[in-house]
Amino acid sequence: MESRILKPVLALYVALFLLFLYGPFVVLTILSFQQGPEGGPQFPIIEWSTYWYRQLFGLTPPSRIAPLPFGDALIRSLVLALMTMVVSTVLGVMSAQAFRRRFRGASLVFYLIVLGMMVPGVLTGLGTSLLANNIIGIERHWYTTAFATHVAYTYPFAFLVMLAILNRFDDSVEEASWSLGVDPWTTFRKVTFPLIFPGVLSAMLFAFTLSLDEFPRTLFASGRDQTLPLAIYGTFAVEIHPNIFAFGVLTTLFSFALLSVYGILMALSVRRARRLAMQEDIA
Amino acid sequence: MQPGPEDEVVVETAVFRIEGLTRRYGDLLALDNATLEAGANEYISFLGPSGSGKTTLLRVIAGFETPDAGRVIFQGRDVTNVPAHERGIGFVFQNFALFPHLTVMKNVAFGLTHGKSGLSAADIDRRCREMIDMVGLSGMEDRGVDQISGGQRQRVALARTLTLRPRLVLLDEPLGALDANLRGRMRNELRAIRERLGVTFLHVTGSESEALAMGDRVVVLDRGRLIQTGTPAEVYDHPASPDVAHFLNRFNMFDGKLSGGSFTGAFGTAPAPVATRSPRDVYAVRYDRMRVLPLSARTDRPTLKARYIASEYLGSSIMSFFDAEGHVVEVEHHLSLGAPETYETRQEYLLSWNPEKAIVFGREVQ
Repeated sequence: MESRILKPVLALYVALFLLFLYGPFVVLTILSFQQGPEGGPQFPIIEWSTYWYRQLFGLTPPSRIAPLPFGDALIRSLVLALMTMVVSTVLGVMSAQAFRRRFRGASLVFYLIVLGMMVPGVLTGLGTSLLANNIIGIERHWYTTAFATHVAYTYPFAFLVMLAILNRFDDSVEEASWSLGVDPWTTFRKVTFPLIFPGVLSAMLFAFTLSLDEFPRTLFASGRDQTLPLAIYGTFAVEIHPNIFAFGVLTTLFSFALLSVYGILMALSVRRARRLAMQEDIA
Repeated sequence: MQPGPEDEVVVETAVFRIEGLTRRYGDLLALDNATLEAGANEYISFLGPSGSGKTTLLRVIAGFETPDAGRVIFQGRDVTNVPAHERGIGFVFQNFALFPHLTVMKNVAFGLTHGKSGLSAADIDRRCREMIDMVGLSGMEDRGVDQISGGQRQRVALARTLTLRPRLVLLDEPLGALDANLRGRMRNELRAIRERLGVTFLHVTGSESEALAMGDRVVVLDRGRLIQTGTPAEVYDHPASPDVAHFLNRFNMFDGKLSGGSFTGAFGTAPAPVATRSPRDVYAVRYDRMRVLPLSARTDRPTLKARYIASEYLGSSIMSFFDAEGHVVEVEHHLSLGAPETYETRQEYLLSWNPEKAIVFGREVQ
């Protein structure tokens, strides 16, 4: 009785959700195949072409529309995201590990860490910039000040993921290792880490993607050289051409590729996790 | 990890000794001044209800937890503050705690490979294969630990610990996760393995029959205290307190009053020439010492009028339950003594026993 009303409503809700989630991307994709260089970023499609994709890679004859200045920005963003991913994940694993035992001030430290993802990004960015310029007196760079804000932002996510994973972790496996004469560090490398690896993978993914498209913090904290989101925003301010859409499609495909790698690695380690779950069922 | 020649070695026969171990969790006293000594090649089982501190005791001995007071001495060395991985004490967990990402072989070889054994890969391989063979898992070396049965996992857990040749192995309800049939078999195997290797086993269990069957000595725990230590026969025949009698789960217990060598309870007054000092007056009669008589029977032994409820067939014996004014009384009849009588439900009978075989506790005993 209940489901006769509830089910269609929920189905409609999910349909709308998917529409709003993927609608912009579909429109973007269609427009990226607009004819060039005369065709603009609007319907109707004058003629289907891959002009704007070729233009991205400099494969078209020079025209009024300059190629996007994204090369350096893209590399900077990828390097920044990688650095952020490594540091945030290491910090996240270490601090979540620390939270397995209760310690004095644990809840205060918890909130201080989580604050990093709650504080408005613009404030963090502005604050970091002021701190660097006026108080410490150092230059702002994407790999210094912006990097610090990225870590402060993504570290809480990595931390929370690892906290959830370690919460379900069966301590007796580690104790078993110790009782076999294996020291705690080797135990972590040979037992704990392989078992929490799916979680580490998720934490890495979070940190990488959040850093890759971070805007407000980077805007103030990155100094002269721009990261990719800033560079894209910069081109919006002048005039929009379908080459941006083509670029958007390519970056989205890159993200999907990244997710697939994550999915494959996850599937491999889930098999392992299932073993652990079976073992816990006995207990 | 044997103590090297440079360590200060106190000559003593005991492999292992604990002195005044105390462990608190907030207001809860999980271990209260526990003192015990174990010789080489001894099998000691710890019996107690859940929450009695038996698992805490093992965890403190293993070094997973630090005692608030007291000392743990192992092979003549005070190891109270030595971290778990440097103690050389084996531990077998109730849930086995196998490494789920490793094969049977790698589980068994784990301690030798990653610890400080200093053995060559070939030596490790040989030693592990011997051990796997000994616990009857040959041919399973390359299986994942999710591809073997519960009993086989138990053996892997045991083999993993025993390859390190520890002098002391702690077993935390190691048979609790197995079904009854397997439990019986593993009991025998555990004993056989231990006798072959000459290792001291401390075995924690919540099952009184397991404790009595397996231990050379039984230690009964209650609320963090070791309340009785003795051979299984001593504990079974002479429980030191009403609590021990209660945990053994083999006694009908009656409250009442002990005075001048006789005990007055629900069954009237019975002579009690021998009694044990206790803060409570309790009269205990073993299940298999109870006799069921028709209501009309006459006897000079103590009797208790009770209504028959039901019976349980246990294979080698039959357990009958009677209701004596709200108090359930159990009577065990061994089938080897002859076919059981049949009783009628809700019918009253007289329960009787030999008062000399009763175990009496009382405050007035000096």
